[in-house]
Amino acid sequence: MKGEKLRNLSFFLSPMIIMVGLFYLIPLIFTIYISFTKMRNWNIERYLTEIVGFYNYQRLFHMFQHDPLMRTVLLTTIVFVGITLIINVFGGLLLALGTFFINESSASAIRLLWLLPRMSPIAVYSLVWYYFFHGSNIGTLNSILMKFGVISQPVPWGQIVPWGAWSIIIFVNGLVGVSFGMIVFTSALNQIPKELVIAARVDGASAWQISRKILVPMMKWHFLYVLTWQFLSLLTTYPHLFLLVQWDLVSRDYGTTLALYVYNTAFGRGEQDQGLAAAAAVLLSIIGILGGFVTLKVLQFEKMIHEPRGDIE
Amino acid sequence: MKGKVGILLAMVVLFGVIASGCIGSQETSETKTTSVELTGDFVKDVLAIGKALESNGVSEVKFSAWGSGDPNSVMRVYGIVEAARRINKVWEENGVNVRITITDTHYVASFQDAYQEYLSKQPLGQAGDFFVNSYAFLPTLADEGYILDITEYANAYKNVIEDFYPSLIEASKFNGKLYGLPQDTEARPLYIRKDVAAKIGFNLEGIEEKVKNGEFTWSDVYYWAKKAKESGVEWGLIHRKGSAHPDLIQFIFAFGGKLYNEDSGKLVVDVPAVYKWLYVEWKFAQDGLLPKDIMSWDWAKQIHPAIVEGRTLFDIGGTWYWTEWQTKEYYGKEGTPRPLKPEEVQAWFAYTLFPAGEKGLKPVTLSQPFVWMINSKAGQQNPKYDELKDLYHKLAFLMIIKASDPDINAIHSVISAHLPVRKEAAKLISDEKWLNDLKNLNLDLDPQVKDNIKDIVATTVHPINAKFLADVSYMLEYTKLAPAHPKYPALADIFKEAVDKVLRGEMTPEEGVNYIIQKINADPELAQNVEVVGEIPRDWKFP
Repeated sequence: MKGEKLRNLSFFLSPMIIMVGLFYLIPLIFTIYISFTKMRNWNIERYLTEIVGFYNYQRLFHMFQHDPLMRTVLLTTIVFVGITLIINVFGGLLLALGTFFINESSASAIRLLWLLPRMSPIAVYSLVWYYFFHGSNIGTLNSILMKFGVISQPVPWGQIVPWGAWSIIIFVNGLVGVSFGMIVFTSALNQIPKELVIAARVDGASAWQISRKILVPMMKWHFLYVLTWQFLSLLTTYPHLFLLVQWDLVSRDYGTTLALYVYNTAFGRGEQDQGLAAAAAVLLSIIGILGGFVTLKVLQFEKMIHEPRGDIE
Repeated sequence: MKGKVGILLAMVVLFGVIASGCIGSQETSETKTTSVELTGDFVKDVLAIGKALESNGVSEVKFSAWGSGDPNSVMRVYGIVEAARRINKVWEENGVNVRITITDTHYVASFQDAYQEYLSKQPLGQAGDFFVNSYAFLPTLADEGYILDITEYANAYKNVIEDFYPSLIEASKFNGKLYGLPQDTEARPLYIRKDVAAKIGFNLEGIEEKVKNGEFTWSDVYYWAKKAKESGVEWGLIHRKGSAHPDLIQFIFAFGGKLYNEDSGKLVVDVPAVYKWLYVEWKFAQDGLLPKDIMSWDWAKQIHPAIVEGRTLFDIGGTWYWTEWQTKEYYGKEGTPRPLKPEEVQAWFAYTLFPAGEKGLKPVTLSQPFVWMINSKAGQQNPKYDELKDLYHKLAFLMIIKASDPDINAIHSVISAHLPVRKEAAKLISDEKWLNDLKNLNLDLDPQVKDNIKDIVATTVHPINAKFLADVSYMLEYTKLAPAHPKYPALADIFKEAVDKVLRGEMTPEEGVNYIIQKINADPELAQNVEVVGEIPRDWKFP
């Protein structure tokens, strides 16, 4: 009987286990391994077997101690992930609740509008904001403000450090990420029995009261899912940041997060230092694992996965 | 019956012996050549390789060419296409039944992007067989074994190698070995707007000589830039942005500094020269003569329009600007943006060397030669690669020798405003008849090549442009090269950051220098490769 159960489990779980192993576990193990080699310039034949122990980690920590940019990278990562996470989660929640109380056709149009940033190619989307925030009079924002006499000289928004640069990267990524929460929360809201809302309406409850007392408490697990997912996603995202920094729209110092630093170190310089980048990536993974663990613990994830009562063996 | 079987068996054995003898004798009499010694006689070598390939059953050799750069520099890949055609012609005329096919001409605008793509695809065997890019990447590619050491091959072709300018051949070497052939080079003139100069009473007559003699220095540039600003011109000076490599490091050389110590093989941060560079930039920016945010200006919408519309007196640019201004719509003063005409560029711009930092020093210019490099796995997509590798590699070398033909090099120079790398090519550029033939595409070129360059030829081939190239050629005598060192790009990045911070006023020049040193010391690997020499001069004044 046990053997049969194991066989059944293996049959159904094997695709998932293979996927996780192939695309998550092996790359992680490989990254850890590379961080102990002198790998650079993609030269696998030459460096893959050249083990250098903790050399890359020592070098990385030396840089953290002595390179002012490295401290800025960490600070930027904390601010970027923290604030964008709040925007993404609560923005998604607000959008879902907002569209819940209006008619379906308007709600669909609004949802589609917020999905546009995610559907646009990254380069096109970034280019729009490059010209919008450009620090000269060719920048749309500057020209509008100058036209209305709000400013007399163009403002180099992305070069005002730290908050100018941070605001732009948070704004651009926030717009992309907010749609994820919106979809999950909208889906969750649609699962809540309509009778509850109708009954509350009959009792004279306002939209705010219905949201606070009924809808939000019933979406706790979705909230937890969006929060954890978005946290890990923001920690490792870099494509929009890469372009905005590459195009000199935002200050390199305050536009570089740890994920972008890893990318630039591995693939973006004259000499591509994949060993050092792998060490930084391991650090990033540790932060991600710890952060995810803390989030799940604080929001009591284990309560969601306890065994259901009344199951028949 | 038994007798018949015996006879049959005896015949089979006899046949087998005779057949094996025949096969054996065929093997010894037709030994296939898998290696050919290069003699320096191009036709002879090409034929020898062709015949060797043919005898090994190869009838088609496939190669791909990767190049990068400004839109007018497409000869960086079509030069290879043309070389293939010329070799095919030799084979055809001599009855050798082998043809070279260029399977891919991959050309991208950003040479940094092209380099990154090459790095990632070379180990996979998917990168181009020919790679044209900046010599700045050559040390890393050579060090990793990604490109072919052609020193031995080149020894047989001394007659061709000697026609290249020696400094460019030196730039194609790493650790004393030759890893490529120069494809083009350029100078970075200081452009001066003639109309703005006339407005402020700045007499440009003999300016080239004054700069050459070190009489006109950066203090004079500052003086006239300030005059221009006071007269209502928007800027005194515009310069390039992006990585400080290679443009702005001209300041280091103009202030008598150096970037490389030949004895130790280490990069150098020459503190006095770097300090003076940062001070000049800081002074210009603080006094409003140079935009504080120039390092984040947009090329097409800000930098070039500011220059071609005469909103600055001086510009530190490159020779290729000359034709770029004629092909791109940067001039928007009359409403709809349009390219400049050759006559306008000639009438509006004077050009000189990059002036000396101060009296007693020399002017400079800077070159960043592009180099034909051969993939160390060149020919990999062809049959019997392991066996015939030597033939494929030598053929690839002969192709870059052919792609360096004076006429191919001269075409590239004229249409892209880069300087020729061979003396023979320089002669062609000043030949009016040849220029006319190029204008009408009345040259012996592959139809594919003609088709791909016809629009560029129509807009750029002009006596004014040829004269410009002839005029600026002397600058190569003053040229400096950034060090060919694998760690140089990392140092250049730090220079760029420091210049940006100083220009914006976030740091004083002194703080900028300290920032550079701090950044170098923060990376133990970089620190091992860089020497910091000298101290900040305390009694130095500018202007």
